[in-house]
Amino acid sequence: MIDFVQNTIDGVMIGSSYALLALGFTLIFGVMRRLNLSYGPSIMIGAYLGTLAYVQLSAGPAVVIAATVIGAVLAGVYVERLCFAPMAAGAGIASMVSSFAIWMQLEQAAILVLPHHTYPFPPLATGAPLTLGPFLLRVDHLITLGCALALSAAVQLLLYRSRFGLALRAIINDPVAAHLVGINVRTAVMLAFALASAVGGIAGYLVLATDQQVTPMFGMWATFKGLIAMMIGGLGSIPGAIVGGLVLGIVEAQSQWYFGPQVRDLFAYVLLFTCLVLRPGGLLGEPPTREPALGRGRA
Amino acid sequence: MTRVRLICVLAATCAVCLPAESVLAQVRAKADVTCRPAGTLQYDCTIVLTNSRTKEPLAGVTLTIGADMPSMPMMHNVRPVKAEPGETPGTYRARLALEMHGDWALQLNLAGPLRDRVLRTLRFDPDRVMPATKAPSHKH
Amino acid sequence: MDDYLVSVLSNIGVISFVALSAYLLLLTGEISFGQQAFFAIGAYAAGIATALWGWPLGAALAWGALAGGTAAVLVGLPTLRLHGLYFAVATLAFAETVRLLFEQFRYQVTIDGELVGPNGTDGFRGIRYIFENDVGSLQFLGLIYALLLAALAAFVLLERSRLGVAFRMIGEDATLAALNGIAVARTKLLAAGLAGALAGVGGGLYAHLTTYVEPRIFDVMLGVHSLAYGLIGGLGTAFGPLLGVLIDIGLLESVRVFAGYRMIIFGGLVALLLILRPRGLLDERVVHRIRRAWFRLLVRSHSTERLNRDLP
Repeated sequence: MIDFVQNTIDGVMIGSSYALLALGFTLIFGVMRRLNLSYGPSIMIGAYLGTLAYVQLSAGPAVVIAATVIGAVLAGVYVERLCFAPMAAGAGIASMVSSFAIWMQLEQAAILVLPHHTYPFPPLATGAPLTLGPFLLRVDHLITLGCALALSAAVQLLLYRSRFGLALRAIINDPVAAHLVGINVRTAVMLAFALASAVGGIAGYLVLATDQQVTPMFGMWATFKGLIAMMIGGLGSIPGAIVGGLVLGIVEAQSQWYFGPQVRDLFAYVLLFTCLVLRPGGLLGEPPTREPALGRGRA
Repeated sequence: MTRVRLICVLAATCAVCLPAESVLAQVRAKADVTCRPAGTLQYDCTIVLTNSRTKEPLAGVTLTIGADMPSMPMMHNVRPVKAEPGETPGTYRARLALEMHGDWALQLNLAGPLRDRVLRTLRFDPDRVMPATKAPSHKH
Repeated sequence: MDDYLVSVLSNIGVISFVALSAYLLLLTGEISFGQQAFFAIGAYAAGIATALWGWPLGAALAWGALAGGTAAVLVGLPTLRLHGLYFAVATLAFAETVRLLFEQFRYQVTIDGELVGPNGTDGFRGIRYIFENDVGSLQFLGLIYALLLAALAAFVLLERSRLGVAFRMIGEDATLAALNGIAVARTKLLAAGLAGALAGVGGGLYAHLTTYVEPRIFDVMLGVHSLAYGLIGGLGTAFGPLLGVLIDIGLLESVRVFAGYRMIIFGGLVALLLILRPRGLLDERVVHRIRRAWFRLLVRSHSTERLNRDLP
């Protein structure tokens, strides 16, 4: 029983980083109705910038965070300009495949600059884990959870209390109508991308600082975790992203404890598949009444 | 109609294919590969070939080495390199030029007196070469 | 033909099967990131058939196709009501599940004192059919392209048949297709099964070409690549995905000069190409124009003939 609760606690902690990744993903999907396969790699570019700062300049954590976020935002805007902005409304598949091509591009660029398999990252917190009765709480996990909650609250606030948030919600609701009432959709979308990348950059920093290293596999890993969490929780829903991330984290922690790390990944995908088949909209999203407009690619 | 035609064509091709004869197992090669970095994306490899059954070294074999990345099959094609015989019988040397660092599956193609192919996956880093990890490294 | 060229052409041939498989599903309007799962199933099935059960190659390939097709239909059933992105991610989840299951899959048989068979993450070594039966690399290349040509011929026939029209109609608008009397669910399952079988044949060929498969090979990269080939080469005709494969693997070889930068250049090229041509190079419009020009050419030469014949 204790193991189960400990795993749940661990799962919530880890799940909070998944939730942040899903948050960025869902922001992009909400405004664009398209899947950005370069999301993880653009965060990785930021992470590599961060590790460069750490290794070459012996920078402190604040600088590394800044470098990570800036790198992620720059890469994210690059992806948006190249893969999503120029595409016509119906060319959903094309922009997805284009983002995949840029994924390969970003990954190779990162490996070229930093060819080793692993690079150090400044630790998030040193020191022994806290104990709460029979349970262990790692300090870095706690920080991650705290940051995740704070960041989600901040994004929620931005969306519901600011003009920019209002514009984004209008675009999420109906892009054409938003355009007609005078919202500059293209700029708003680009800024949404930047915001999503920034959130992703912070999430990436938290994850990598907990692991204290970054590897070239991080890009693909981040994309998949964010994607799975987003789809479980519901596309285009911020509370859904959080819930999805936490659920994924808990399922992973439990299955890793009882069955081992390989089965853990298996469970994650089976969970995703089952969720999609039984409840495509996700736990908190709306069931898809109209097709998510990936389009037939009418040029 | 189209399905019937497709099935007919497939059946015809199957009939053309050679049936498997229960040939007595031919010589199978076992290979030990060690590589050292020798420049940017260049590696010097030493291969020791032995008969997997009798454990004798296999000398006089024409050995060509190709490389492919397991994570992206068939999409990186390193031009095969012919290996030179080394000092002792059964030893061969070759210099590989790879396209990027990471895990590569080396295809050791044997021709000449016996035909075989052995694969070895190694991780090629800028400063060293080691046996590859089995599963892709996941976090947590 | 030197060995290197043979191996590159063999790779092009084998990957074309997966590309055609993803293309077939795209015709019915469904994006699949998971065709590599059927490629994997076909590879393992055919490999087991020849290496462990001693079957002839033809039977093994047919068995791989059957396994791939059946699996595709089994997956197609629960995902029938999913569309667009949901379907795409579901296929992705399925493909990764299959790959992870293969990492656990162990089925080994002792043959001549050695253990042969799939061994989890270690993979499946020793699919030595082409060595034990003295099939040269050129012969195998011939087999690959014979099967590929058969598949292409089938596609050409499909494009002109009612079934092909039905596929494209479903791809355009499933509701309208249903209103026109097409059994949408059954037709989509048929497309899924055929696509799975196609990928299965490719997998069987791949297993015998390289004599070794491991689960790591069948990851998402392969799946998204096969989708990308159709999109790059064009969705107007079955030759589109082939063109995409040629551009990728063919061009990749020639751009060898930029050894370490190939992905950067290629990724950028693909992104730019997709901005200009979102449906690929040989998209429906281009194919239509080519067909019209060809037709006009035929008609013109025919009518000139008749004119010359009728005049004294």
